[in-house]
Amino acid sequence: MHPVVPNPETLSAVTCWSCLKEIDKAAHFCAHCTKLQPPADSDYFSFFGLQRRLNIDLKSLEQEFYRLSRKLHPDVYARATEHEQQWSTQKSSLLNDAYRTLRDPIARTEYLLELEGVKLEEQSRSATDEARAQGKEKQQVVPPDLLEEVFELNMQLEEMRMSKKLGERDEQVAKDLEAAKVRFEQTLAGSNTDLQKLWQEWDQVIAGGADAADPQRIAVRDKMVALLNRRSYVRNLVRDVNEALTADV
Amino acid sequence: MAYSNKVIDHYNNPRNVGTLDKGSNDVGTGLVGAPECGDVMRLQIRVNPDTQVIEEAKFKTFGCGSAIASSSLATEWVKGKTVNEALTIKNTDIVKELSLPPVKIHCSVLAEDAIRAAIGDWKKKHAGSEAAAEPVQAKA
Repeated sequence: MHPVVPNPETLSAVTCWSCLKEIDKAAHFCAHCTKLQPPADSDYFSFFGLQRRLNIDLKSLEQEFYRLSRKLHPDVYARATEHEQQWSTQKSSLLNDAYRTLRDPIARTEYLLELEGVKLEEQSRSATDEARAQGKEKQQVVPPDLLEEVFELNMQLEEMRMSKKLGERDEQVAKDLEAAKVRFEQTLAGSNTDLQKLWQEWDQVIAGGADAADPQRIAVRDKMVALLNRRSYVRNLVRDVNEALTADV
Repeated sequence: MAYSNKVIDHYNNPRNVGTLDKGSNDVGTGLVGAPECGDVMRLQIRVNPDTQVIEEAKFKTFGCGSAIASSSLATEWVKGKTVNEALTIKNTDIVKELSLPPVKIHCSVLAEDAIRAAIGDWKKKHAGSEAAAEPVQAKA
């Protein structure tokens, strides 16, 4: 097993419910009597004993997932106490959610941002409330020219769907969409590269021991939010264009 | 989650879908987006320069049923109102009218943003010409 970096935030000790010896708060099993421990109030990162870093070794994450799956499996606790049965069910389901989230780069980033207090919808809503109170226009979170392009492309997509319904295929529109698709796939690939750079920045800030209020930590966080915001439009577009292009006339 | 009847009605029979001349001095255009879901909404208004009443409103939305219904409703509501009256429309009014569930509240926020953006665009055009014609009429 890849050595796991202990997360200092979860290292304060508790006692094992069975043997009453002192154990690590985040431990799934007692280090002394090996008994299963109740679910700790943990996030997906600390469930795997990881720090909140974004570069994750997927190979060792997978290995740890399989190891824990076997050890936490409810079948193992079929004859254990009722509370142990319950814990194993709870932990198994948490394990699946945590693994599914952490292994996907975008889901992992979104999850981390959520842990870092980012609430996109709430922020958007309060920005609207503020705009109303001040009689001002709300600042859009994505650049206007991207919105413009997304809107135009959606119009073209709609046109293409309409002509398809009539049994026609507009070659010019199809060509335009094909070109747009290539362009947006490049944008998407570019945003993935940019995101990885931000992961690097983030991990460095965390490695430097920055706490939640650290301005640098917040700055990197907000850069990731902006990037994911732009990305969600482009991702939807690529999906819709693909749908429109692959469906046969 | 099931859509309310009002949402379904607006979705099946959207009011005021279309385009107004973006270049016209009396037209304000708002183009807004919700990054949570990737929806985009364009709302346009045509304002009577003398009365400041919104005489026409058009929208085009690419998004879910609730986003379409919210913008459709928004065009209905702004029509006949003065610009300042239209600015008092709140997203929560739209939520109430359409019985939007919590996960769709951002659609109503988007519609309010669109109204505000359209009026803002119109004011920008208008303020310029008005300031040139009657620089004294600067009311807060």
